[in-house]
Amino acid sequence: MARLDELSARQIAAGIAAGDFTATEVAEAALEAVSERDAQVQAFLQVSADLALQAAAATDAARAAGRPLGVLAGVPVAFKDNMNLMGTRTTCASRMLEPYESAYTATCVQRLLDAGATPLGKLNMDEFAFGSTTDSSAFHPTNNPWDLSRVPGGSSGGSAAAVASGEVTIALGTDTGGSIRQPAALCGVVGMKPSYGMVSRYGVVAFGSSLDQVGPLARRVEDVAVTMGALTHGGRDCHDATSQDATRDFLSHLEDGVEGCAIGIIPALMEAEGLAPEVRSAMAVAAQRLETAGARIVEVDLPNMASAISAYYVIASCEAFSNLARFDGVRYGYQEPGCKTLAEQSALSRAHGFGPEAKRRQMLGAYLLASGIYDAYYLPAQQVRTLITADYERAFVQVDAILMPTSPTAAWKHGAISDPAALYLADIFTISNNIAGNCGISVPVMLGEESGLPIGAQLQGPAFADARLLTIARALEQAGDAAGMVAPSFAGGGGEL
Amino acid sequence: MSPDQPLTREDVAGIAEYARIALTDDELDEMCAYLRDAVALLEPIREYDLAGVEPTFHPIGALTNVVREDVVVAGLSLEEALANAASRRGSSFRVPAILGDGGAA
Repeated sequence: MARLDELSARQIAAGIAAGDFTATEVAEAALEAVSERDAQVQAFLQVSADLALQAAAATDAARAAGRPLGVLAGVPVAFKDNMNLMGTRTTCASRMLEPYESAYTATCVQRLLDAGATPLGKLNMDEFAFGSTTDSSAFHPTNNPWDLSRVPGGSSGGSAAAVASGEVTIALGTDTGGSIRQPAALCGVVGMKPSYGMVSRYGVVAFGSSLDQVGPLARRVEDVAVTMGALTHGGRDCHDATSQDATRDFLSHLEDGVEGCAIGIIPALMEAEGLAPEVRSAMAVAAQRLETAGARIVEVDLPNMASAISAYYVIASCEAFSNLARFDGVRYGYQEPGCKTLAEQSALSRAHGFGPEAKRRQMLGAYLLASGIYDAYYLPAQQVRTLITADYERAFVQVDAILMPTSPTAAWKHGAISDPAALYLADIFTISNNIAGNCGISVPVMLGEESGLPIGAQLQGPAFADARLLTIARALEQAGDAAGMVAPSFAGGGGEL
Repeated sequence: MSPDQPLTREDVAGIAEYARIALTDDELDEMCAYLRDAVALLEPIREYDLAGVEPTFHPIGALTNVVREDVVVAGLSLEEALANAASRRGSSFRVPAILGDGGAA
């Protein structure tokens, strides 16, 4: 007997190939895990049991017919609810899209299905991905599996919580300013934001088009690497002009280690206001582990990082305003009944379809793009982007990756930070990576000395050095004991094979 | 509006109209407070010496258009395209009048 939440993606696929268990048995065990655990965690917005069982049956039929199985054969996965999957609704956790039936399947979702994955459903998020708590979901909050009174982080909070509680092996999220890495850190799992252009965004609801990227969350770096292979298999997606034809081999060098690598640390960043002492000491532990594994630790600087928050909130809000203008209640989405004019229908549909933070972000973007204001903020923000990108280029001449915190603190209690502007400051360590289009990953390091909650270390690497970044992340993981970790109160539950 | 002048309630009401988001009086008050705080957070961007710095509008500098062969491929069918609309008539999306009085913002 094996417990499903203890198995890696490769072990599940190999077990099915060997006939140790069937994909249908895996799907049933996963559905059982979801039904047992999700009443508490509330990571899911929809469970797609029929699609899961159909996909699993197809995998079992392929095996019976002697056809080759995909790298994710029978592996239970779920998707952030801003990704279209035919046969499910795609709500973005918003009343605006509550009844929206996916008209087609996103490329990232399709590629996991093509690799044989079993789709369990759609995961909660901050409404339209605006937030870092998942509390702004229009439907319900998601609870951190390590402590149900705390947030899982966001905006891909459902994705991180579903993985941390052992409900799924792999989840996809999106990251515009840290929305994969930060919830991964707060829930004690691995979360990767690939380089901009690495993964197709066709079929994913856009937030900030020059920043958004799709990526995997899992309990092991290896599972993230396998998923990256599946996501990039097939190369460039002709449906997404930003999609690049990048390296698709993330596994052959995964275990190469960090002997001879240079890892950058930024001493000034460790003095950042609001950085919890337990996070600072966890970073020292992470640096020590990488050094013991053979890496050199080198001090570097990103002098313009202090301005990244301002640049990010200008760029992200303007792009969000532009992207969300399409929700006018006509072709899809909530439509206010009984309006006399189109203008009234649009203004009331948007007023009643969007929640408070979605309205705030769009209002900020509309202001910043207004005549007379644009030159004061939008243009300078794009110039600061040039400076931040140049800072990284200089640093990456010296080092292979930069180590820093993912989040300034461990998971906080629901409702503990209510001021929207204060929440924005918590993104300080993650956003500059999106601004520059580089790759980044959060890896669990240890439980905080004070909070007892998971602390993640973030590694950032140059654009399209994603495979190298995974190798370094794997070395960091291997030096600790968090690989495969399920949140303690959920480990040992149902879901047996 | 000028970036050097504090945002007024009238400014915010104008932005809401432009953004097509109907706000109640209470929401308008909250939105004023939020926008003032958020804009204050963005202030550092204006204090930078950026003379001679080129803007980067996109992380992939050498972005080129993706083109494909000019052949017909299947897209959404009419029914699929209309399936998520709240109101339709026949093969069209149905909207309130946009001409005459209906055209007023």
